[in-house]
Amino acid sequence: MKMKKLVSGLLVGAMTLSLVACGSADSGAASTGSTASTDTASSSASASTDTAAEATTPSGDKLVIWTLAKDLEDFGARYQEQTGVTVETVVIEPANYPTKVQTAIMGGETEPDIIVGEPQMLGDFFENGFFANLDELGAKDFEGQIVDYVWKVGQDADGVQRAISYQITPAGIYYRRDIAQEVFGTDDPEAIGAKFADYPTILTTAQELKDAGYRIFASDSEINYFSGDSAWVVNDTLNVDDARFAYMDLVCDLYQKDLTAYANQWSTPWYQAMSGEVPILTAEIQNYEDDSVNVWDAEQFAEATKDLEKTEVFAFGLPSWGVLTMRDNVGDTAGKWGVCAGPAYGFGGGTYIGISNLSERKELAWDFVKFCTLNEETADWWIEHSQGDTVSLISALDKHAEDANETYGGEHLYSFWLEQAKGIDYSKVTKYDTAIGDAWGAAISSIKTGQSTKEDALALFYDTVASTYPELTVNR
Amino acid sequence: MGHSIGYNVKKALVYIALVVLALACMLPFALMLVNATRTGAEISRSFTFIPGHALKENWNILFDYFNIFVGMRNSLLVAVPATALGAYFSALTAYGLAFYKFKGNKVIFGAILVFMMIPGQLSLIGFYQLCTKLHLVNSYIPLIVPAIAAPGTVFFLRQYTLSALPPSLIEAARIDGAPELYSFHRIVLPILSPGIATMAIMGFIGNWNNYLLPMIILTKNEKFTLPVMMATLRASIDVARNQGATYLAVAISVVPILLVFVFFSKYIISSISAGAVKG
Repeated sequence: MKMKKLVSGLLVGAMTLSLVACGSADSGAASTGSTASTDTASSSASASTDTAAEATTPSGDKLVIWTLAKDLEDFGARYQEQTGVTVETVVIEPANYPTKVQTAIMGGETEPDIIVGEPQMLGDFFENGFFANLDELGAKDFEGQIVDYVWKVGQDADGVQRAISYQITPAGIYYRRDIAQEVFGTDDPEAIGAKFADYPTILTTAQELKDAGYRIFASDSEINYFSGDSAWVVNDTLNVDDARFAYMDLVCDLYQKDLTAYANQWSTPWYQAMSGEVPILTAEIQNYEDDSVNVWDAEQFAEATKDLEKTEVFAFGLPSWGVLTMRDNVGDTAGKWGVCAGPAYGFGGGTYIGISNLSERKELAWDFVKFCTLNEETADWWIEHSQGDTVSLISALDKHAEDANETYGGEHLYSFWLEQAKGIDYSKVTKYDTAIGDAWGAAISSIKTGQSTKEDALALFYDTVASTYPELTVNR
Repeated sequence: MGHSIGYNVKKALVYIALVVLALACMLPFALMLVNATRTGAEISRSFTFIPGHALKENWNILFDYFNIFVGMRNSLLVAVPATALGAYFSALTAYGLAFYKFKGNKVIFGAILVFMMIPGQLSLIGFYQLCTKLHLVNSYIPLIVPAIAAPGTVFFLRQYTLSALPPSLIEAARIDGAPELYSFHRIVLPILSPGIATMAIMGFIGNWNNYLLPMIILTKNEKFTLPVMMATLRASIDVARNQGATYLAVAISVVPILLVFVFFSKYIISSISAGAVKG
């Protein structure tokens, strides 16, 4: 009898919840009625997006997008509005997107027409043949219309175009104009850029700022995006350029000479530094040796650090999408920021759109790829719609070159990012970068904190690379 | 009067320790609820137990991404049958393994133990191919039917059956002429119900939170189960902005688990001694 109670309890629970579902869900109510096991195009079209319901003359064409960035949902809705093609966008979480695509395409799935990838995923995707050849569909005709490095990222090892991105993500230094004016007597991006021209100069700049009572960076990871001025691997040989060592020395100096506020990137004080004064933590707090201060708790943090010296942070180093992150976090300092070039060119992230090799609607899918990446009108709309994302279409960037961004003191950011993007040399990017970069970062942090000597840390770095990639020659 | 000071001090210490532990367990929940009312920027900037004012905003962000109640319904459509089938057939298997003597009994039990140790992710691509061939991609069947084979549950229930079910009960039923299935339904199931309820709650939580397989098998937004839907909140350019909405989604999604737990916790409590008494 207890079993009966249990089963009826479960059933009642299920019913109550589905009632709740019906009651509160206005758009879901329609689909709640149809049982989930019916697998018809009509029910899927009505429930997938709001715009799907008001589809203009259904031409019978359909396009399925599997994406890891929600952006494409907006692109898809707009494409459907303009062409009448039913667009179905499935958003999958970035961390598991490769698993999903890999399983599906290796399993012979023909459903997705459009698949996407971030730069670090693309190498594997291309090698496994997931992305269709866009050159066969006519991509060659559009060469030169897209910012060069983006075009190259979308090419496989043989130079065949397989994906294109609608955005560029070059890195820049975001700095406080008011502090620049006070310390350096100018807030001109060119002049401030000169203060970040190379690693030794940054160290001097950091010292100048410290003498004036400020800190150059909140964390010592801010120049990470600008550390890739040489390729990690040349001719199957590990290549540790002199600049890498200069970068290592700079990070160690920033840390050991108290030149940052010792915040960790993406932690509470790091965000706080965007909007004004923050306490200067100690190295021990940053690496959690001293746990008297909880950097993740604002109240405790304020209490525990009230005796510490306060400072304001001068600069952050982030890719162009940082424009949006900063805008949401700068608070009262909005308008006092500027953006200038860093010590090297670099980029981070970006969504690349391609066509699944198993798609049965490649022509239509290619039309969609062109719509997202090569259509000036779409680019205009996207700049407006995303409130400041940086597109990859050169003509659109030129058109918006004079757009002033008020958070950044009216700076013309689009022309700036275009200049930065032009400097990126994609031939320096290899598929080994993530793993080797991580190992190098680990070496740097163990040296700067004094956990191990430089020799030991470097030996460990070489060992790690040699064991991760046995095919590489490692000259120590 | 009774107790000595030493006893009272000890008792006070124990209670203080228990209160501290209880608080430690509840703090993350409180934090989740508070964070559900704050904006993403506030959450990444600081940490507090004072609720914010962004509940409505988070709700709107959340519903801009998906309708969480559709996800809940989908998760129930998967989790309820999968749990019920899993519990019933596991009990059946466990009873068979524990009470019938036949050749290969030990081999089967050994095999079940071995299968407990193989992670399911290994066969993902093969499983997907199988589903494609059977036209089962994007349906709930591949999520529900395999749940019938739950080695862990069988193992637990077999041990539980051996300790809780006196063989004489079954023998008495046989003497009275009860068919085997009848005696399973009328005698074995009620006696095993604490154990089954325990495993059912575990199974329900497992099915409810199952992420990898639904993520791979389901390819339509409107069929996504709750965890798959919630993960899409991380698919934005600026993840930090969605943090409030994520907390809100998690807060809503634990409600069914809490309900199931409230309904069946008395079974769990009565079965905490499961396996303790050797019959």
